Amino acid sequence: MSATPSIPAAASSMPALSGMPTTVPPPAPGAPLAKDALLALVQERFPGAVRDAADAWDLTIIVSADQLRDAVLFLRDDRRLQMAMLLDIAGIDYLAYPGHRRARFAVVYLFKSLVHGHRVKLKVEVDEEAPELPSIHDLYKIADWSERETWDQIGVVFRGHPNLKRLLNHHEFIGHPLRKDYPCQKRQKLSVNDPMLDQLELRLRQLGYSVLSEGQITSMPTRGLPGAIDGAGDRGQLDPDLRQGSNAGADQRGVL
Amino acid sequence: MVFKPVPPLPTAEPSLGDAFITTTRDAFVNWGRRNSLWPFPFGTACCAIEFMGVVSSVFDLSRFGSELVRFSPRQADLLIVAGTVTYKQAPILRRIYEQMPDPKWVISAGACATSGGFYDCYCTVPGIDEIIPVDIYIAGCPPRPEAFIEAIVQLQGKIGKESQKESKRVGA
Repeated sequence: MSATPSIPAAASSMPALSGMPTTVPPPAPGAPLAKDALLALVQERFPGAVRDAADAWDLTIIVSADQLRDAVLFLRDDRRLQMAMLLDIAGIDYLAYPGHRRARFAVVYLFKSLVHGHRVKLKVEVDEEAPELPSIHDLYKIADWSERETWDQIGVVFRGHPNLKRLLNHHEFIGHPLRKDYPCQKRQKLSVNDPMLDQLELRLRQLGYSVLSEGQITSMPTRGLPGAIDGAGDRGQLDPDLRQGSNAGADQRGVL
Repeated sequence: MVFKPVPPLPTAEPSLGDAFITTTRDAFVNWGRRNSLWPFPFGTACCAIEFMGVVSSVFDLSRFGSELVRFSPRQADLLIVAGTVTYKQAPILRRIYEQMPDPKWVISAGACATSGGFYDCYCTVPGIDEIIPVDIYIAGCPPRPEAFIEAIVQLQGKIGKESQKESKRVGA
């Protein structure tokens, strides 16, 4: 890795992401693979995967919930695919969809390869009785918020997500508004806004501040300001007790 | 200065000449209040961009004495809500209103703040008068700067009719 000197230094001080590749393979740019070739690659590894016939223009591959994490890892790490970018996670409610006879919900993951330029969507059907999927927050950082949004709006629970709380709607909201059986004009008032202190305190800790009392905006710098010279080297070496916040399950790996 | 003409009281000292003017307390207080409104812009959408034009040199709200935009509610007496307000924001708007010292007035600028606009859905407040009392509504999506100025002038007229004998609403 012959990048600028600062990038490896900062990267080495970051806590290692579980499941993240430790070495980045050299880019091998080429023409984007055709949809058939992409599908064949995925089907070679996951025989149960089928192409979604409803998506005639693009490539959507349906996999089962059990295969999801393996399939995502395969898309991300296979040299021929290298889907390094998760564009979006979207939930679908097929409740009133004409002619639909399969599971009520589906979750679609949109991937893009920055090296090759091709795109693939993964679609997982989700049962109505137990709307659950394994979380992929540890494979793609952006999946953290995308999964929170999908849970908030559609109500699909992502098993293993460290902080599955509402992202768009307020914290007193009941129900999931993008479900087709939610009356779209049913409004829900919020009495007290969520100050989101848990996120703020987490951020302060990562910047080297200590939060004196949980749930209060009472913080003191224990070392220099965030932009100080020694900041980059210290971020990954905070005292372990400072890293345990009120929101113990939250994403502690965040880089600022 | 436009004061309501009040005949001088017979007991006033004629020897003082022009050193004194006599008026009513309401006329005097309202004159001061309506001509030095300090607006707090609660701008959440494109209406706030129009308001920037209103206070800038072309339209020049300072001709009407209301150009001193304050970004602390404690220093403002006119709350201009310009833009869409969601239920997630509603407690914040309410708190800002409550932080403003009396007397205070509210202008609801544009379709979204007034009625929710075209956001007829689960997350948008259908008019900020669900949250706080409103004095003047401005139509438009977004309103022209002239409409903002007209609202200020209308509010000045409304303030001019207020009486200090009536207790000013507190927290509505």
